[in-house]
Amino acid sequence: MRLDRERFRIERPWLGLGLVVSMAVIFVADTVTNLEIAVAVLYVAVILISVRFDQPMMVLGTGAASTALTLISYGLTPRGAPEAGIANSALSIVAIGATTYLALRIEAAEARVRQARSELAHMSRVTMMGELTASIAHEVSQPLAGIVASGSAAMRWLAATPPNPAEARRAIERVVADADRAGDVIGRVRRLVAKAPPSRERIDIVDLIEEVLALTRSEIRQNRVVLRTDFANDLPRPIGDRVQLQQVILNLIVNAAEIMGGLETGPRDLLIGAAAGGGQIRVSVRDTGISLAPAAIERVFEAFHSTKPGGMGMGLAISRSIVEAHGGTIYAAVNHPRGMVFGFTLPLDS
Amino acid sequence: MPQDTPIVLVVDDDPSVREGLDSLFRSVGYQVACFGSVREFTLFRRPDHPSCLVLDVRMPGPSGMDFQAELAAIRDPTPIVFLTGHGDVPMAVRALKAGAIEFLLKPFREQDLLDAVRKAIDTDIARRRSEAALAGLRARFVSLSAREKEVMALVVQGRLNKQIAADLSLSEVTVKVHRGQVMRKMEAATLADLIRLADQLSGREGGRNPSRC
Repeated sequence: MRLDRERFRIERPWLGLGLVVSMAVIFVADTVTNLEIAVAVLYVAVILISVRFDQPMMVLGTGAASTALTLISYGLTPRGAPEAGIANSALSIVAIGATTYLALRIEAAEARVRQARSELAHMSRVTMMGELTASIAHEVSQPLAGIVASGSAAMRWLAATPPNPAEARRAIERVVADADRAGDVIGRVRRLVAKAPPSRERIDIVDLIEEVLALTRSEIRQNRVVLRTDFANDLPRPIGDRVQLQQVILNLIVNAAEIMGGLETGPRDLLIGAAAGGGQIRVSVRDTGISLAPAAIERVFEAFHSTKPGGMGMGLAISRSIVEAHGGTIYAAVNHPRGMVFGFTLPLDS
Repeated sequence: MPQDTPIVLVVDDDPSVREGLDSLFRSVGYQVACFGSVREFTLFRRPDHPSCLVLDVRMPGPSGMDFQAELAAIRDPTPIVFLTGHGDVPMAVRALKAGAIEFLLKPFREQDLLDAVRKAIDTDIARRRSEAALAGLRARFVSLSAREKEVMALVVQGRLNKQIAADLSLSEVTVKVHRGQVMRKMEAATLADLIRLADQLSGREGGRNPSRC
């Protein structure tokens, strides 16, 4: 989304210049040709292009300018039958008017779509943050519980008669270790939610996956999923945005864990793989949940298409746009004997 | 440590929580046994001490709640204190309805945990005591002769000696002798005592045993 908007802004001067030149060419052609030839109808194309400015005033302005130029051109054209000229100009102006009206309608519809999409992207981030927060709360509460237990044990060992300094010391060492552990969780969260613009850095994909796994551990455990990983050694490092790619992996893992959490029977195995080959790096998340029908697989990356109860159908759509912005592809396939494989590839530069 | 020191059985998959709890419970004088999973726990041969379970709810393999149901199915009465990193109200209600002593959220307050464990251990001690009392009572009842059991059954129904004698075709004197034997063997001082003991034997002790309230 954001990338799209930026590209637009850069293109606008060229777009504006293109429109002005087109209108000038049409005006000249309309003026030099006979009145019988309705060149002015071509303004319709210019009006349709003006929709790309995303501004109703621009569309309206282009329509008005086209009408004015048609009238001026009629006055300036030296040759041809004036009656045919009036009919032609009138036809052109009606066409310009109708097109301007339609273009305004298109513009308004596009504006609504843009707004809805950005609201949804925001909501999806909020939902993801909600899930993440629950997960983090759990990750932090474990070491805190350890600190409470070990800390009060230490006090009791010291207050005992006779005091037991060896036990107290061991308990205090555990307090420090647990506090470090809680600190690590917070550090990971900071890195994940850091408000950084899309960055391009060399990424250690295994490192990145493991950070996500550390944050989703409770999600995995909560759904009683057995996790395995299969990472190739010495993977090359693709270039990309660390936080965005983590979001993609987070999304795939949380989806797989949630789907398997709803299973009545059968294994709940999650296999996360990373491998390189053919000039690209491939990350896959394989679950033994529910296999989707081929028709559903085709639509799974579309926005609003959710297979989860209560899902918004944005997670995979956003994941796809992130992966594609990195020049990669995201895919889904049926896993055998059951479940799904979701994965993506990232290109490696030579 | 003395043989009947209460033992706290901790089942939690997080090693640092486990070690912290181990140290904490030992520091207040309990014996402790720690396990990383329900499966590990079931392999352990529990000593015959007053005990309680401190269970994490979410663990790999069977959850603490599953394990509570399993214990209930085999009528294992060990009291349970739940500890959990992310519990919600329905979960807590379910655990408490199924008989858990307490449902604590991590991070817990030390005193809350120790209070819950003390309450659980006390529950277990009381249960063991009443079970031992019941076992003694059963032994005493078994020592009665067949005739004495018959007489006792009629006595606690409120029948008079004369009526019992007629029921069993005995002389009233013989009934009196049997009745005296019943009172002596059952260690009952009064008829009211005997009725209470009979109720306990038939498993209707719940509402009548003041020591449990």
